[in-house]
Amino acid sequence: MRAPTGIPELDAMLHGGLMRGDVTLVVGSAGTGKTTLALQYLINGAMKFNENGLYVTFEQMPAQIYRDAANFGWDIRKLEAEGKLRVVCTSPPVLAQFVESRNPIDPIIVEINAKRIVIDSISHLESFIPAPELRGELYRLVNHLKMKELTSVFTAESHEVFGDHLVVTGVGLSFLVDCIILLRIVEVQSSLKKALTVLKIRGSDHDKQLREFEITSQGIEVGVPFKDLEGLLTGTPRRTTEERFAEAFLKAAGKGK
Amino acid sequence: MNETGLQELSEKLIGTEIKAELLRLFHMNPGILDTVESIARRIGRMPKDVENEISPLVELGVLRRERFGKLDVVSLNTSKDREVQEKLAALIERGVKE
Repeated sequence: MRAPTGIPELDAMLHGGLMRGDVTLVVGSAGTGKTTLALQYLINGAMKFNENGLYVTFEQMPAQIYRDAANFGWDIRKLEAEGKLRVVCTSPPVLAQFVESRNPIDPIIVEINAKRIVIDSISHLESFIPAPELRGELYRLVNHLKMKELTSVFTAESHEVFGDHLVVTGVGLSFLVDCIILLRIVEVQSSLKKALTVLKIRGSDHDKQLREFEITSQGIEVGVPFKDLEGLLTGTPRRTTEERFAEAFLKAAGKGK
Repeated sequence: MNETGLQELSEKLIGTEIKAELLRLFHMNPGILDTVESIARRIGRMPKDVENEISPLVELGVLRRERFGKLDVVSLNTSKDREVQEKLAALIERGVKE
């Protein structure tokens, strides 16, 4: 029923992993780690769970992806040679052909027996498909992937790095996908930290806490929930009332001595 | 040495700057599956110039061009590319020996 990401804490948050056959949206601003998370999902699928994967990229060239992945110890070229992973670099008009009966992506899925797919990023389709048709075309793409029984991850760029006005995507994609993972940069005591939360999973419970995560030499590592802070998603958290009360109490107690 | 063969093959492969750029692009990024217009953008050239240079590489079999709907999609033909590389290497080796 589940396709584990292979990131233990994230899988625990998802109660075992992504729901098999679902489409998950990983949304975040530039530099939050969307591509790393998506790649890690595919690499772990191929290496740990015997589930081959296809990575579709638009702007980022495969050579750069190979290099960046090597920094985490992931040898994509080797996985490609073994037929476990394939990186396809294309443009939105070609991906749009994917839903046609004859298209360039299907033969690759069959060839490597792909069970997982990443489209990085779905935001690029917005520049190609006219706005009135976009939601309908995304709906078609989502259903096409489901019919192929692929467990899919779309990345999407959020333009707001900070602020309390969070728009996941402008075309209602959040209603079309089954799961949303939000990556966010937050400022805590004058330091920039990365936060991750699961906004929704259709048909399943999930951890609703906002957790700190880091991009380490092994990839993404999710840590403990942020404590004693509220308003983290605005990017500028405040201490909770309880925390402020506790501090005031301790100060008063100190004066009384 | 079969100098004509070597010259002809290398001319077909890397006879112009754009051809060399295209081969470099596809060798470094074998997963490219794209339109001529987009490939041109990836190497910072104009589509009409790239179109002219892609055709000989398609004729040679190193690149593959397939029609999907209204789009012509170009990709690297890895097996043929390897074959051509081996042929080129053999011609060069023969030339060195002679």
